[in-house]
Order: sequence, then C-alpha cells, then structure tokens
Amino acid sequence: MPTILGELAGVEASREWYRGLHVLTKFFIPFSLSLCILFADDLVSAFSLVLVSLFLVYASGLPLSGLKRYVVIIGSLTSFIAVSLFLFARIPGRVIFEATLLRFEAEKGVFEWKVYVTDAALVYACVFVSRIFAMIFSAMLLLGSVTDREIVWGLRSLGLPFGASIAASLFFRGVKIFVSDFLTIREAMMARGVDFERFSLRRKFSLYSNALIPLLALMITRSYEVSLALETRGITPQSRAKTVYHRYGLGRLDLALILASLLVVVAYASW
Amino acid sequence: MPGKKVGWVHVVTFAFATAISYVLGVVSSLIFPVLGAPGVSALYVAAAVYVPLGVWMGMWGALAGYFSCFFLGLYPSGYSVVQSLVWSWADFIEAVIPAVIFRLLVKEPDFTVKRPKAAKLLPILVSLGTALLLIGIVVQVAWGQYYGEPFTTAYVYLVYGGLIIALAGIITGLAVGDAKTWLAYIVSVILASLFSGLWGAGTLTIFNFPPPLPREAFWPVFVGWVIGDLIVLSTIGTALVVALTELFKRSGLYVEGWWA
Repeated sequence: MPTILGELAGVEASREWYRGLHVLTKFFIPFSLSLCILFADDLVSAFSLVLVSLFLVYASGLPLSGLKRYVVIIGSLTSFIAVSLFLFARIPGRVIFEATLLRFEAEKGVFEWKVYVTDAALVYACVFVSRIFAMIFSAMLLLGSVTDREIVWGLRSLGLPFGASIAASLFFRGVKIFVSDFLTIREAMMARGVDFERFSLRRKFSLYSNALIPLLALMITRSYEVSLALETRGITPQSRAKTVYHRYGLGRLDLALILASLLVVVAYASW
Repeated sequence: MPGKKVGWVHVVTFAFATAISYVLGVVSSLIFPVLGAPGVSALYVAAAVYVPLGVWMGMWGALAGYFSCFFLGLYPSGYSVVQSLVWSWADFIEAVIPAVIFRLLVKEPDFTVKRPKAAKLLPILVSLGTALLLIGIVVQVAWGQYYGEPFTTAYVYLVYGGLIIALAGIITGLAVGDAKTWLAYIVSVILASLFSGLWGAGTLTIFNFPPPLPREAFWPVFVGWVIGDLIVLSTIGTALVVALTELFKRSGLYVEGWWA
C-alpha cells in the first residue's frame, strides 16, 4: 500500500520496521519534531534539530531525493527570509555589507532604504533556514510513512462514526481521481491546439482557470453518485460500527518510540 | 434529496471538495512560481474555490478549506504538523466569511448575469480598488506616520483613488444582476481576502509555533496574500459562482443552512 507522499511524489519510507509502526506512533514522531522546532531558537539547537530529523528520515528509509520536491519551497522561503532580514530590517551587529538603495529628504527626517547585512542577521537567517529543513523533514516523515488506509483504521479504532472515516477515505481517493481528471482536461485542451509550454504566464493562468469549471462540474456529479451509493447501503454518517475487522494495537516498540519522542521534546524545551 | 439533516451527500461533497481544493493547490504551486512564501502567490488558483465553496456548502465549505489547507501545509508547502494546524485557519476564514454573509443576508443567491460587460469590469475594479486602498494604508502605517511627506500624500491619493475605484466596482457589481446577491458576493470577496490574509500572513510571520518566516516579512506577505486572493477570487471565483451555482442547486448538493 503506497504512502501519501508515495502517491503524490513517488517518495516513501522503505524500512519495514518503520512502516510497520502504529499510525499513532508515525504521527507522534513528526508531531514531536514540530514541537521541538518551537524551542529551536539559536543556531546550535536549530542545527542539532536538523540532524535529529535527518537521522529519523534516514532511519525510516526515506530517500533524500524526496527533498527535490521541496526545492522550490526551500529556495523561495530562504530567499524571502534573506530579503526580509537584509532589506526590511536592521538587525544590530557587526556590519558585513551595506548599500543604500534609496535616500531622500522626507518631512520628518531622511528616509533611507538599505541593504544591511550584519553578522547577527546572518545567524538569525541561518536559524530560520535550519528550522525550514527540520519542518520539511518532519512533514516528509509523516507523509512518507502513513498510508491513507492506516488513517481510516486509526479513525475507526478511535470509535468515530462512519462519516469521519469514509470522508477521510474519499478525500484520498478524490485526490487521485481529480489529478487524473485534471490531466484528462489538460490533454483535451492540448488536443485542441493549446500549447502550455509556449504560452505566457497570463495565458496559462486563464487556461487553467477555464479547466476549473469542468473539474468542479465533475465533482458535483461524482458527489451525487457516491452519496446515492452510500445511502443505498442503509447506513448514515452518524452510524458507528460495532465490530472492527482490523485489530490495531500499540506494540512495545511503539511505546518506546513515543516515550523517546517525548524525551526529545522535553530536552529541547529545557535547552 | 437531503432535508435539513446532515446526510451522505454533505459528507461526500465535503470530502471531494477538500480533495479538489488540495489538487488545485498542488497544481498551482507546481505550475506557477511561488513568490516568497508558499501559499502566497498572485496566481494561487486554489484560493479561488474557497469563497464559492462557502457560498454553496456553508460550514462544510469552511471545513474543506481548513483540511485542504492543512494537507497543503504539509505537502508541498513543507510546514510542520503544528504550524500547518494553525496556518490552515486562513482558508477556513476564507470560506466561512461568505458562508456567514450568505446564510444571514441572502438565502436564495441568484448569480444570473444580466449585463456581461459589468461582470467583466467587476473583478478589475474591485481588485484594483481594494489593492490600492490596502497599499495606501500600508504606506501610511509603515512609513507615513514616521516620515510624514511625501508618504502621507501618497497615502491620501492611494486611499481615495482606491476607494473611488472599489466603490465603482461595487456599483458595477450591483448592475451585473441581482443586486443583493452581488453586493454580498463582493463584500465576501473583500472581507475573505483581508481576514484570511491577516491570519495567513500573521501565522507565517508573527504568531505560530514557530512562524516559518521572520516578523519583518509580515507586510510584504500580507499585501501579496491579499492582492493575490483578490485577483483570483474576483476573476476565477466569479466565473465559478456564475457557472456552477445553479448546477449545485439542481443537483441537491446546495446547503441552505449552516450544515444541511
């Protein structure tokens, strides 16, 4: 059964021991990493958290090539952090680079807009960039190890009504269905002479916007058909199952890993 | 057909609406360049569906906004679980505002276009006017109050110019068709963009666990978010409500109350 990231990006955890953990454990490990990010506010703690996350990614068997999917995000966030710290803020420290972009006499003084790079601003930027890597690793770890079926089992084992688990299941099925629908609509447009490679961004925007209407119209038809099919089974969204076909318990390894994750959070909180 | 009780039709439409919003988010982030912060792009097509979903599906639309944004936060945006849980309220707000406005003020929305030229002018005037107004306020808050002239003059021109253009957009909107429906829609678009921008930019830069961007980035992210949302909501969102509201009503998927 492919994981969520496996289906979206073709990247998933390959180690059986990690894939075999309870869904709660696979949720708790990245969740505790997310909590640790909150306490990583200096360069050493932020960088050590990157190493911890990287180790977990390695231990789970997630290939680092998965990072390629996030390259645009890493690049854009990093450049935005640099731009906002060097162009919109003046963080005190030893000045490394300074250049005036705009300077004029305003009513209440001189207005200056500078590129202002200090050693403190660089450290601050590095902390933010390290946190970005830690948060991306934590997201990869979660999505790369959990399957949609496990989420449904998890919801069922919590005793939630059918409505919740079927909605979760339909969401994951829906993603696949609508990606396929979108590609079909795109191909239909290309068959009518649309060249997405050559068109300008404005034209592309308009074309993709046009594709939205058939996509949503398909959603309406599908929703109607699937809800009718569910109605015919005689269950309501509020119904609860009295029996479960899949027993889903926490093992010793699960408990040990949850405890270890908690300890890591406590360690970062008391850093 | 569903009465006033929650049925499968609501749950299924909610699940599929969440899926479609998520797919659009992924597609737009892969096709169009991301400006700075993920989710903050002038061409973030996914944002366009949240206001229509709020109009059509009430609170289910708002929930679809929340959950699709939560998954978008994880992939492809790469936020952590906690950051994503907080950030996702931005898209909940984006859908809940039209849901509230339409359920309180317009029980039977009629998006029939009687004057197509007015419908074409509406997005340009509303988004341009509100964007100028917003930029004017940002100029005054960021620089005008500290430096005075020439920022205060720029602020006055931008605010008054923006206000006149936005009002012209609203008046044009009233001429498109049913005045009450279109007024509610324009107010929904403006408020949804502003409040989701405040929450979205705020959780990206000021209040999250921790914010992925430094607080100095708040104003650029906020302005980018609101202008981006205004553009896609007033262009694509308008096209969607015009084309699909009747289809939603005919299929029985339209939610008249909050949940059913």
